[in-house]
Amino acid sequence: MSNSISVQNLTKIFESKPFGKNGITALDDVSFSIEKGIIFGLLGPNGAGKTTLIKILLGIVFPSKGTAEILDENIENWRVRKKIGYLPENHKFPNYLTGEEVIVYNAKMSGFHIDKNSPKISEVLNLVKMEKWRKTKIKKYSKGMLQRLGLAQAIVHDPEIVFLDEPTDGVDPIGRKEIRDILVELKEKGKTIFINSHLLSEVELVTDKVAILNEGKLVKFGTVDELTVDRQICEIQIENDLPEETLTLLKQNFSFSSDNHILTLEIKNNDDTNKFMDELRKNNVNILSVNQKKSSLEDTFIKSLTETKD
Amino acid sequence: MENIITLSNFTIREALSRKIIVTFFAVSTFVIIVFGLLFALVPFEDLRGMVNASGDDPMDIAGEIVKGIKLFVVAPLFGGGLFLSIFSASSFIPNMLEKGSVDLIISKPVSRAQIILGKFLGGSLIVLINIAYLIISIWLLIGIKFSIWDISLLYSIFTITFTFCSLYSLIILIGVLTQSSIFAMMLSYIIFFVFSPILTARDTISVFLDSKIMETLMDILYYIIPKTSELGTLTTEIALGYGIDEYQPILTTFGFLVLVLYISIIIFSKKDY
Repeated sequence: MSNSISVQNLTKIFESKPFGKNGITALDDVSFSIEKGIIFGLLGPNGAGKTTLIKILLGIVFPSKGTAEILDENIENWRVRKKIGYLPENHKFPNYLTGEEVIVYNAKMSGFHIDKNSPKISEVLNLVKMEKWRKTKIKKYSKGMLQRLGLAQAIVHDPEIVFLDEPTDGVDPIGRKEIRDILVELKEKGKTIFINSHLLSEVELVTDKVAILNEGKLVKFGTVDELTVDRQICEIQIENDLPEETLTLLKQNFSFSSDNHILTLEIKNNDDTNKFMDELRKNNVNILSVNQKKSSLEDTFIKSLTETKD
Repeated sequence: MENIITLSNFTIREALSRKIIVTFFAVSTFVIIVFGLLFALVPFEDLRGMVNASGDDPMDIAGEIVKGIKLFVVAPLFGGGLFLSIFSASSFIPNMLEKGSVDLIISKPVSRAQIILGKFLGGSLIVLINIAYLIISIWLLIGIKFSIWDISLLYSIFTITFTFCSLYSLIILIGVLTQSSIFAMMLSYIIFFVFSPILTARDTISVFLDSKIMETLMDILYYIIPKTSELGTLTTEIALGYGIDEYQPILTTFGFLVLVLYISIIIFSKKDY
């Protein structure tokens, strides 16, 4: 599968102003690729460089070093942005426009020529549940309504890649679910979605791949499963309590804990799980299930940040 | 070009929403009504009768009256119109560069040069339309009242708009550099009301200064900054049908406009937002 976004050794140093403080490294030698048609989540604490990365990809900020390509075109070519939709964090649409005018303006700016009567406007406004507010000036919109409108303007021109910076910011739980459903629908249509969000539990629900940035460095990159499965811990559910002598015997050779018919085994070597199960079977212990322990994305995120600090 | 037109359309839309165009239109309409009433109330035929008795050609007298009216329109329009235009246009760039707004524009498939040119074209069109509305209306009133259809007054539409464009290019540059509409406005007013008149009279001033350095400095400044004062005089002369004696103020001001706009594009194209 070809890549929709490819980043090579991207570095951004915000130079210090004369007599000001030293330069700040916002991105430090970041490289990764994202395939087409997936939902990608970019995670990181405040100041990790997430927004800088998106801004570089969109030509808003220039890299100090490195290159990036979108749909096999260098990001320096502004024409590639015709295939991109973008919902910025804290966006500011001209407040004298109505909802439909915002859509028309942004569509035109994206090279997609429509007018107020175009069915495409109703289509996207219905999708984000804003159709009945289309004639209302946006200065009367709530934060959640503006986010929905922002999403509509980002997809009106049918882009191949959609960048969303904190898309559910200010949106109520039902709205968040609706936005997630829209993202999944877009993915099913073959679009690539690039989400930058603090809401890890939400990102976990929809993303196929995630990257974790910390202090400008890429500390983790992979599928959600790859990042959340802890391959060093195995959970074995057994039918009854372990007999005391079996427990003592196993403790001599394995590092594990037992709690309510769940044995949590620490795996030091690749065949530890098999050996442990062989011992259980030898002692006539009935095994109900064997699972590798899975952490939440939030646990993985916090662990990654702690490891970086150490 | 499509992107430039879309951007200029939305600059005009912004001016409409901020009541800039309505204010211009209201002021212009007020001036037109005043002239309309003046023409309706002043009995030109009586004046012609008086002139006939004195033996002068009535059309010559009408021509002199028209010249007076032109002076009465063009000179204040140049100063007042440009004052209002600078005030109105100074916030276009800082507004666009606000966080959350600039990100959206730059992320679209438009080059940064097109963004600046779109804003420049939009702002210039707003002023052109308003000046044209006022001057064409006055020209029609003069034509109807005095049967003099001399188009020289109409040329002032272009000279006033051109003078605005030169100052607007500076507003854009300051806007890109500082994102401050106040600073952009102040600098334009200083050039328009202080520097340009002083530098136009630099020969006279040099006599009193008696300093070679100051003389050279004033000469350099004179050729660099837009010659709004001389363009004002030129506008009046063109409106009165005298033609253009010297092209230097136009050419050097045009050079300033192109150079400043070019620098604005270069700086805007290299800046992170």
